[in-house]
Amino acid sequence: MLESYGYTLVWSVGTVVFIIASSVALGWIARLIVRWRGGSTIHQQNAFAGYAFAAPWIVGFVIFVLAPVVASLYWSFTVYRLPNPPQWVGVQNYVRLLTDDPNFRAALVNTFYFVLFGLPAQLVVALLLAILLNQKLHGERFFRTAFYLPVILGLNAAVLLSWVLMFNANNGFINTLLRTLSKKSTLFNLLLRAFIYVNESLNAFFLGVQSGNFTLFEKTISAFPAAHRVPLWLQSPLWTKTSIVLLLVWSCGSMMLIYLAALNSIPPEFYEAAEVDGATRWQRFWKITLPLISPATFYNLIVGMIAIIQMFEQPYVLLRDSPTVAQSSYTVVFYLWRATFRFNEIGYGAAISWILTLIILVITYFQFRLQDRWVQYDLR
Amino acid sequence: MQAHEAQQQSGVAPLAVTDGRWRMWQERVERAVLYLFLIAGSLVMALPLIWMILTSFKTFEEANAPQLVWFPADPQLTAYVEILKDADFLRAYANSVFVTALAVLGTLVSVSAVAYAFSRIEWPGRNVVFFLMLSTMMIPFQALIVPQYVFFNKAGWIGTYNPLTIPGYFAGGAAMVFLLRQFMLQLPRELDEAAFLDGASHLRIWWSIILPLCRPALATVSTFLFVGHWNALLQPIIYLQTTKLYTLPVYVASLVNPQQTTQPWPTIMAASVLTALPLLVVFFLAQRYLISGIVLSGSKG
Repeated sequence: MLESYGYTLVWSVGTVVFIIASSVALGWIARLIVRWRGGSTIHQQNAFAGYAFAAPWIVGFVIFVLAPVVASLYWSFTVYRLPNPPQWVGVQNYVRLLTDDPNFRAALVNTFYFVLFGLPAQLVVALLLAILLNQKLHGERFFRTAFYLPVILGLNAAVLLSWVLMFNANNGFINTLLRTLSKKSTLFNLLLRAFIYVNESLNAFFLGVQSGNFTLFEKTISAFPAAHRVPLWLQSPLWTKTSIVLLLVWSCGSMMLIYLAALNSIPPEFYEAAEVDGATRWQRFWKITLPLISPATFYNLIVGMIAIIQMFEQPYVLLRDSPTVAQSSYTVVFYLWRATFRFNEIGYGAAISWILTLIILVITYFQFRLQDRWVQYDLR
Repeated sequence: MQAHEAQQQSGVAPLAVTDGRWRMWQERVERAVLYLFLIAGSLVMALPLIWMILTSFKTFEEANAPQLVWFPADPQLTAYVEILKDADFLRAYANSVFVTALAVLGTLVSVSAVAYAFSRIEWPGRNVVFFLMLSTMMIPFQALIVPQYVFFNKAGWIGTYNPLTIPGYFAGGAAMVFLLRQFMLQLPRELDEAAFLDGASHLRIWWSIILPLCRPALATVSTFLFVGHWNALLQPIIYLQTTKLYTLPVYVASLVNPQQTTQPWPTIMAASVLTALPLLVVFFLAQRYLISGIVLSGSKG
């Protein structure tokens, strides 16, 4: 244990020396160039200081970003199993990924599901909480802290284990609560059954899209669940995605804060004027609040979508080793980890990460293109 | 109806009174409902944490009972005693503290230096480099996992803490640089100009004038970094590979044995509580800065 600490400490000192040396070198080169171009002493000094201070990032960019990106582009066209050298195979990895890999297809469909259902759920709950907090009540800070807490804790594997416990279908907290409530009230029971029906049909449909086989979907859609049925959460492929959507909604605190700041920046005169004109609450919400916080929605949409695509902790902790359900909640990054590091397929993993990068870039590009249609940046 | 008649008879005043009372009542009910929602919401949000703590005080039988046991009948400390006797857990704790401290410190210093370059010095090419840095935020980190793994493998860094700490020294995290730069831009320019005339170097201005003024932003950045490194799961799994080197999240997750139906839940939850504890402490100390920091980074995004 101490050797491994010592090893890293020695490397840390070495790294710091290397960074300082490269800072001085980079600054020195910059000063020489400015002097050669005939810049004044002040300009020379600033060039030195600027490049010297920015050097850690510039050097780090070349070593940890530029070189890896170029290398992985090359490796994505090879078969590469460490420690053997890579072998060029052309687009074979990409063809296999897109046409002949049910796991990758599952990962894409799952990610699409999370973006389609998880993201809007997150946005709605975040906005709702922000509106609640924005009512100028006592204890706003306390509630804000409570709502933000899951963001801090939510990605910690140790904390996520608590969800494993609560999701247990037999003696878990959630199902015990649902069972108790449905015994007390027939209405609740009916609502629960409706929810189970809708959820299972929806998930069966998505599983059908993944496998190309819709018998399960037909079966779930033709039978309304019995009175004693409960959600199976982590134990059934029909529920795993719903469990993860719940986790996503639980940790929507950063979105809520962004919304809260946006709500705070709306001038109160807008509402006063609308009230004088006799606008109802709904009208005020739809015509004033929503358009004016659209930049916040746009930001949350992009950041939230990228976060969902990059999700790893949740499927890893909740469903890592159960082969029957894992495939139903693979995210692309989870699959990337499995393919690359469990099965040592570097070239294939590089191809996955490039397709992923392309997807993120294309979606972000279109969101930026489409934002003029609905995002309102200027207040006046 | 009555109010309407009153208005016809004696003008506006009575209407205003009844209307005002009615309004006050309505407002009170509304507020009560709002508080109910807020309290219910925070309970739901805190539920996993509450459940974790409750379970850690239960007995093994209570935690694995076929019927849910809400509260421990006789709160036990055995789970904590047991987990604190687990040498692997203690080692994982020490490992997490070591990695997090080293990574946060290195990143904090380098990030603040780079943010200084982007906000307080005019140098040729500054905008180009800054734009380059912002565009790296668009590259998803997964695009880098695979090739970085190969690089670190070639460097002989697998099974060491270097891949988790060293990259941070190179101002890892463009978002953090951006946040600090935004903060530094707000500080008055006269500060460094006066110091500059007195003959202070940039190194001195950065370290003894700008950095002390940036304390709130530095608190935000270090909290983000702390949370990120303390929670990190993917990279420790990829690079550490032996139980001896595991950090807390990897070790605690490995306590659950998926082959068994019953788990030592009280012990696992005690481990979770101890893992979450530093997060809670740091969060409550820094939450004021944290929340303004999130808004600062989001508003300009």
